[in-house]
Amino acid sequence: MPKSRAPERVPLTGADCFLRAFDSEVRRTGGSSHLAQLALRLGPGLDARALAKLIAEVAEAQPILRAPIRRPYGLLPPEFRLDLAARAPMPRVEIHDLPRADGEAPIPPLFAERLNERVDGRRGELLRCDVVRYDGGAAGSDVAFTWLHMLLDGSGSERFVRWLDEVGRGARSAAELPDEAPSHSARPDARAHGEAAMRWRARMRSFSARSPRSLAGPLARTPQRLEVDLATFTREESASIAARARKLAGFLTPMLFYLAASVRAHDAVFRLRGIDPHSFVVPLPVNLRAKGAGGEIFGTRVSMLWFQVFPESCADFETLLGELKAQRLAAIKEGMVEAGTAAMDYARWLPRGAYARMARRSFGGELCSFFFAYTDECLPGMTSFLGAPIRNAFHAPSVPPSPGSVAVFSLRDGRLNLSHVRQAGVFSGFELVRFRRSLRADLLGEPE
Amino acid sequence: MSWTREALTDRVYEILREDLLSVGEDFTPRSNLIEAGLDSLAVTQLLLAIEESTGVWVDESLLTEETLASAESLAACVHAQIARA
Repeated sequence: MPKSRAPERVPLTGADCFLRAFDSEVRRTGGSSHLAQLALRLGPGLDARALAKLIAEVAEAQPILRAPIRRPYGLLPPEFRLDLAARAPMPRVEIHDLPRADGEAPIPPLFAERLNERVDGRRGELLRCDVVRYDGGAAGSDVAFTWLHMLLDGSGSERFVRWLDEVGRGARSAAELPDEAPSHSARPDARAHGEAAMRWRARMRSFSARSPRSLAGPLARTPQRLEVDLATFTREESASIAARARKLAGFLTPMLFYLAASVRAHDAVFRLRGIDPHSFVVPLPVNLRAKGAGGEIFGTRVSMLWFQVFPESCADFETLLGELKAQRLAAIKEGMVEAGTAAMDYARWLPRGAYARMARRSFGGELCSFFFAYTDECLPGMTSFLGAPIRNAFHAPSVPPSPGSVAVFSLRDGRLNLSHVRQAGVFSGFELVRFRRSLRADLLGEPE
Repeated sequence: MSWTREALTDRVYEILREDLLSVGEDFTPRSNLIEAGLDSLAVTQLLLAIEESTGVWVDESLLTEETLASAESLAACVHAQIARA
């Protein structure tokens, strides 16, 4: 957004519309909304009431934080209606108190519950914040920012928290965003864009020769409830995993290492069930922000690189990793990052239900095998939030009923976090144990 | 075309500056590439551009903290790879 004159409407990006289709899918099948969450575990020092005031201040200065999402005339690409934000409710901030815990407190169950709540983007209900204080804050606090996923992507949410901290410390005014380029409304060359979108479509169709299965199975209209697990590895384990990732996957592509481990962990559950997964089709989010620039906060600024691997490649970790590396290189070479953007851009014009229907038709009712992200260091270089030391920070996005499982890996201060969010009932207790064992064995290079 | 190390440094620097990174005047052939924002996607695009210019594919396993320390060090790595090819 230009700093001098704020626009009245901000079009959703193609990737925003991709996530908006998930939101529609979740609602259609009896769930809540498609949300995302960034949680901070803080030491003492946070003034929760000051944070509540700060959020009200920034929501006043930045109307996109409560801008109703509307589709003009019911036909044109959807927009954040900044001009209607003044009538929308302010982001909700709630403060909860718990007694001091013995040792490290478990993640408050409230945070998972927030991912299960329905919000209405049409009314501008885009963001909420929950603070859980331990011993009135003297023993630290947990803070969860939960938002309708198209407002912020993972990287944007970290930028948002950093910006909030800067505004709270007086280092920046609430009216001043670090770097908000109006790339939402960029109009690329139509012909090249069309060709790229067709290339993407052809690639997706090629996957359907052996359509994927998810552990949840094709969509059903069932009550949904998300469960969230956070596994934090010790510093020693994290260092060992990082070294193994660098050695096997390469210095700059550790995400493929974590992706390979996640594929094999899902495959282990399929094998336990005695079901053939046919293939694993998984999208890998790719950050499209300009490299080296401050980067925008709002909107989903990603493309997707799609992978397909077969169960026969999963027998050996390094074979699978080699396959993923080769597919990544080929996809980048064939311009699939740009093609994915182009395809999502066209999908802005589709009704959101139609978008999801198209995706499901390609894969026999599934959207993909599971979702995955590796977001690298969470809040790099940021040691405190509004005066309270950051002890840990991690992402937890919600997941549609199919595929019903998302694994997000991130690092914080030398420790690896794995957030595993899933629809209740997709994994049995025994399957979950198998999933975690397989993952741990591959990450650490140990026998199961 | 035979590539000298200096010509390769210029080419790598040019690709980074013009096509891949959003950097200011303070970005030089000695600037740290990771600190300048080079990520996994950009580095693969850089390798593809280098291959287009030189005809040599630089094995990604050669990319380390040291080789990505600057355009100069990366060009030295590419130069060694060309010499071996």
